[in-house]
Amino acid sequence: MPPKGKAAPKPKGSEANKPSSTSTSAPPPPASTTSTPSSVPSTSPSTVSERSQQRFDESRPNEAAREKSGLSSLAPAEQVAWISSQFARSSAARARLGTKAQRELWRHVNEASLPVRAPKTKPSPGSWGKDRAGQHIGGYTPARFDDRAAKRITLTALEIASRAFKDTRERARKGLLDPLSKEPVVLAENEIDQEKNRRRQMAALRRELYGQTMGQFEQDPEWDDVVPIPQDEPEMALAAIAYPASYAEAISYLRAVMQKKEYSPRCLRLTEHIISMNPAHYTVWLYRASNIFAMKLLIPDEIEWLNEVALEHLKNYQIWHHRHLLVDNYYPSIADDADKVSQFAASERAFLAAILAHDTKNYHVWSYRSYLVGKLGTWGADELAAVEAMITDDVRNNSAWSHRFFLVFSNPAHSTPGTAATDPDPAVPRDIVDRELQYAMVKTYLAPQNQSPWNYLKGVLAKGGRRLASVEAFAAEFVAGLGEGEEVEQVRSTHALDLLAEIYAEKREKEKADLALRRLAEKWDRIRVGYWEWRRKCLDVEG
Amino acid sequence: MTDQNVAEEPPLAISAHVQYIQRLDKRRDEYEYWLTEHLRLNGLYWGLTALHLLGHPEAIPRADTIDFVLSCQHENGGFGAAPGHDAHMLSTVSAVQILALLDAFDDLEKRGLGKARVGEYIANLQNKSSGTFAGDEWGEQDTRFLYGAFNALSLLGLLELVDVDKAVEHITQCANFDGGYGVSPGAESHAGQIFTCLAALTIAGKQEYVNKARLGRWLSERQVAGGGLNGRPEKKEDVCYSWWVLSSLQMIGKTNYIDKDKLVGFILRCQDTETGGISDRPGDVVDVWHTLFGLTGLSLLDYPGLEPVDEVYCLPKSTVDRVLGR
Repeated sequence: MPPKGKAAPKPKGSEANKPSSTSTSAPPPPASTTSTPSSVPSTSPSTVSERSQQRFDESRPNEAAREKSGLSSLAPAEQVAWISSQFARSSAARARLGTKAQRELWRHVNEASLPVRAPKTKPSPGSWGKDRAGQHIGGYTPARFDDRAAKRITLTALEIASRAFKDTRERARKGLLDPLSKEPVVLAENEIDQEKNRRRQMAALRRELYGQTMGQFEQDPEWDDVVPIPQDEPEMALAAIAYPASYAEAISYLRAVMQKKEYSPRCLRLTEHIISMNPAHYTVWLYRASNIFAMKLLIPDEIEWLNEVALEHLKNYQIWHHRHLLVDNYYPSIADDADKVSQFAASERAFLAAILAHDTKNYHVWSYRSYLVGKLGTWGADELAAVEAMITDDVRNNSAWSHRFFLVFSNPAHSTPGTAATDPDPAVPRDIVDRELQYAMVKTYLAPQNQSPWNYLKGVLAKGGRRLASVEAFAAEFVAGLGEGEEVEQVRSTHALDLLAEIYAEKREKEKADLALRRLAEKWDRIRVGYWEWRRKCLDVEG
Repeated sequence: MTDQNVAEEPPLAISAHVQYIQRLDKRRDEYEYWLTEHLRLNGLYWGLTALHLLGHPEAIPRADTIDFVLSCQHENGGFGAAPGHDAHMLSTVSAVQILALLDAFDDLEKRGLGKARVGEYIANLQNKSSGTFAGDEWGEQDTRFLYGAFNALSLLGLLELVDVDKAVEHITQCANFDGGYGVSPGAESHAGQIFTCLAALTIAGKQEYVNKARLGRWLSERQVAGGGLNGRPEKKEDVCYSWWVLSSLQMIGKTNYIDKDKLVGFILRCQDTETGGISDRPGDVVDVWHTLFGLTGLSLLDYPGLEPVDEVYCLPKSTVDRVLGR
């Protein structure tokens, strides 16, 4: 290193006021230009890359000319200057000179005001890397570059503060004492808020500077102790590449907490967050249930939350299985209290009415409903009234009809458990059979071609052990002039005609049965001609 | 005599459908792709079976598919819907079906955990007292899982691992007053549930428990004026019922109960002949599920250019014959 006192003086001027006195900058050329090589531009650099290039060139006066045309092409003074700068920059070279020669050397350096320090490597435009838009930072103006540098410093400062926060938190967790005050280290509430704020700023800076995304969970100090588990990528074509970032992050945290079987409020919130993005995600529901049961949270509260989700996602069936699990878990705690059971039954009935209003035939809702009836024992008047209301609203609601049949004929109070659905059940009281037959018939008039009450009617007859012929008069109301010609023949319900065919067969009135079936095949229900023709053949067999 | 002008129906757009299925796995920049990750293996089965029926089994690379399937297997033998997803009955069944399609049971033995372990996983999901099956250790019970178990176990040759009789008993309890079957005893008859119950009984060789007359009638009533089939009375027609209803009719030998030409017409109208795929109803958005079931329906209806499908296993007949040594 040359003695400091002999460094060339810096000229006054704008360049001198810059704080960038790092080793990569050489003193600018002196005002006089006798030693200035022709390649040094005197204009102000527009980019950082240009500036570095200028500085590089300025630190090597005569270099361009020498490269171009050789040392011998330079003027003698320039030759000496060039040689001197080679020595000045290399302590190894200087060591070979004697003391006297070295003093000579420095005299030349000072007289010519040679730049002693110089950047070793030639700058390239790519030296500063690229920004988030893919632009070379070397192409920034000096002002913009300084702005970026300032932001990087800010980010570093934030990161340091964030680490300090983590240290404090760790010391508080361990119950360590503050060395100065001798008090236990405590993490104040506002420090957590400050940290959250800090991370928000860090996220913004990282995004701006590097295009990096700092996920919602990464920004949340509450989740610092969890190491997220990213998507496991098998190495083949069918595997993942792109993954929507916020969903991916949430799922990676889910994997982590599921693996360590953590059950806590934050995990519950995590499941809610994922459900809001993807309610069809099968596993998250099961894990949510685990959380609720492990923390012994109040089931009615969860059901209230679930109601909102169910109304938003009518086609989702995990919701209903979740409800099933909740009820299974909840019921034992209220089973002995008749009031509580009836209260719960009432609130469920109210919600089922609300959700069925949106989607009257939702299969998952109805199968949950039949499960609930069995579980709570709500075989009575309230449930019957509810299903009746639905049939009144829409006589074509087959789900409601099906539920009614279940309610009436599987009621343990008056049915034989284990009876097949199509077998007679003597335990069913006669007046109930009569009542149900009447109900079906009345509803049939509202829409004679609606299939549900006709199936229901036949189902009731079977349960009651009654012959089909007992409703012949009723069925006949829907048919007139059968076989008497196109102008006369009227069929208001193909189901009625089908039932009549069965009744005639039951009564062994083969020709009448055949006529009915033939007319169905030929005219009234041609699309099912294959079925009607088969029925006609069966008549022959029964003979 | 039909109301329809038959010339309106487009023919089956085979190459468009093949390309549609091939494109399915390349949508990884779509959010929807990731939201349906829990169906990934099932989706692969639907797409691959469809391709086989279309006569293009090679359209998805075989080796990659096998690798992917095996990567979904867990220690307990079961398969998850995608790598990292917990094992479940439905994805396990899809895995077995895919391996059957690709004739890759050897790979399962050598590189996977072997057929026996898979059989064990499935068998452990049977509720020994009721006979029915759960989908996973969480216990949701559904006749779909029962059918899935029978389907996969019989393909693996391991049906004896489960209590078939108890399962059959459970199915009979799901029979309803209208001739159909529901998801559990007392639940509404539904074409999908009917298929699962009937197919399970068929695999078990117990069709004698079915009242075919009543069931056939219920199934025949599914056809609506437009020719399509619905899944329950007074519901809208949907292409997927071309499978659930039609295969059920096939199993009891009563496909003549419906008007086949009208059904073919309906299915063909549900195609998107430009970008490929089939939807639930004409004009709706397509998806791979409805694409498969539209094709299986057409195959059952002997539509030219399609491989015959097995009505019980929902796999090409050639696959089932090969695996079961028929």
